[in-house]
Amino acid sequence: MAYIRKRNRRIFGMFLLPAILVLFLTTIYPMIYAGYLSFRSYDLAKIFVPRVFVGGANYREILSSSEFLHSLIVTFKLMAMTLSVQLVLGVGIALLVVQKLPGMPLARTLLMIPMMISPVIVGLVWLFLYFPEIGYLNYFLSFAGVGSIPWIASTNWALWAIAIADIWQWTPFVMMGTAAALQSLSPEPYEAAMIDGNSRWDIFTRVTLPQLKPVLVSLMFLRAIDAFKIYDIIFVLTKGGPGDSTEVLSMFIYRQSFTFWRMGVGAAASFVSLIIIVVLITLFFKSLNRDQAA
Amino acid sequence: MNKPSTQQTILIYIALTIVLIVFMTPIYLIASSSVKPSPIMFQKPPAFLFSPTFEHYKDLFGMRPFGKFILNSLIVALGSTAFSLTIGSLAAYAISRIRHKRMNDVAFWILSMRMFPPIAVVVPYYIIFKTAGLLDTPLALIIVYSTANIPLTVWLMKGFFDEVPTALEEAAAVDGYGLIETFLRVTLPLAAPGLAVSAVFCFIFSWNEFLFALMLTGSEAQTATVAVMSFWSSDAVQWGRIMAGSFIILIPGVIFVLTCQRWLVRGLTMGSVK
Repeated sequence: MAYIRKRNRRIFGMFLLPAILVLFLTTIYPMIYAGYLSFRSYDLAKIFVPRVFVGGANYREILSSSEFLHSLIVTFKLMAMTLSVQLVLGVGIALLVVQKLPGMPLARTLLMIPMMISPVIVGLVWLFLYFPEIGYLNYFLSFAGVGSIPWIASTNWALWAIAIADIWQWTPFVMMGTAAALQSLSPEPYEAAMIDGNSRWDIFTRVTLPQLKPVLVSLMFLRAIDAFKIYDIIFVLTKGGPGDSTEVLSMFIYRQSFTFWRMGVGAAASFVSLIIIVVLITLFFKSLNRDQAA
Repeated sequence: MNKPSTQQTILIYIALTIVLIVFMTPIYLIASSSVKPSPIMFQKPPAFLFSPTFEHYKDLFGMRPFGKFILNSLIVALGSTAFSLTIGSLAAYAISRIRHKRMNDVAFWILSMRMFPPIAVVVPYYIIFKTAGLLDTPLALIIVYSTANIPLTVWLMKGFFDEVPTALEEAAAVDGYGLIETFLRVTLPLAAPGLAVSAVFCFIFSWNEFLFALMLTGSEAQTATVAVMSFWSSDAVQWGRIMAGSFIILIPGVIFVLTCQRWLVRGLTMGSVK
């Protein structure tokens, strides 16, 4: 790299600077601001109450409130529901569409469409399907002998209703990543395994899965980070209800900040969510670096 | 992969047909319901053959200024795409070419900026934009969407710049090109596909976004996704208009998938799966 001279280093620095500056101003600064708000009483509903420093009161309030803890549990429950189904279904469909058969490239392409649809549209079309009394989903299911399910009207089913919409949109992501990885696997281990007379299932679990593992770990981390942020679909389908059965962390923050106008409490909850996402991101990057080192 | 037997082939196609029906039905429903007369919207069994009506599209553009909301979406999406591409590809080039042990950390820091939960920063944004008088303006959304689009561009473009052989740049330097000239005349044209892919991803992300658009805009800068949601109210859901609006909103994404699906893996996993 002889052409990178001293002067060029400075130019490279100037190339990098605007991005860092913009990201700092638009992401780090609002986060610091959220941190600042979280130590204050910032209640927009009570305009005559002074906005004062309240120490850790907002944090004490959310950490001791059962609503906040409940929203954390719902968030992770939804994450577990969607990730597990997406992993199994996504890998399964990937194994179908990588077969060298006519029509498979078209099928792969069609299956990618859901990912590019706005989450709010995904929410609306599933609302159309779930709609009490008239929605088509129960009608379709009746052919499979399934009785009428009160999808979004019941505390038992609402979380599944949300999970299904998310699974519909993002199973293609796991399928797509897995299919790409499957197509880049080298054929030698398979030939060896075939000669040794292993069954298809043995080959899948002992040869394919270990090779897929790094990709699947990456895909699951990316899904987990997204699942933690889920918002639009819930906003359209249930708004956190019925009761608080689908109130994930994002909905908790939304309601505290924009329904009750308690910005300080909302900011404190936001900060807790930032800490959790930092842990997730750090784990994800660590796993990426481990793959590169290996 | 060895070739499946005839029996296996049949099973594979049966399974695939079921998968395709399940995954395509919602999309079919949006398209068909947008041209279905309201009285048979929920008719069972669903009507597959009916004379299509464009009344929902007429309502959509007639009664509320939906055209204006689409224009807002376009302004915001194009604005954020242009801004993010400029800043992002410059940074990506620097990250791709500087050999320094901290460069990897800088790249990951930039990527992490994309992963934070939007809801966690929406309160500060709301207050900051309110103070700055930028609430309900396209500029606010352009700024906010760029926080997600710049990291995406940096990571995608870094991958494309890495693939441009440095020998070409060295040859350009021998010819007396400066660094900026080399970048603009040699490297950037070779990484043009990357620019196209990044542009489309930035555009679609901004076009589809809902949460910030809902919180930070009112009647003036409202985007199409928020406008469609406004046809939903607990007493009367105007399904015809919702579906017509939804269909318009999903067109760019569908075109993208059909034309450049081979870049989707790279874009959606931000380079972690190639």
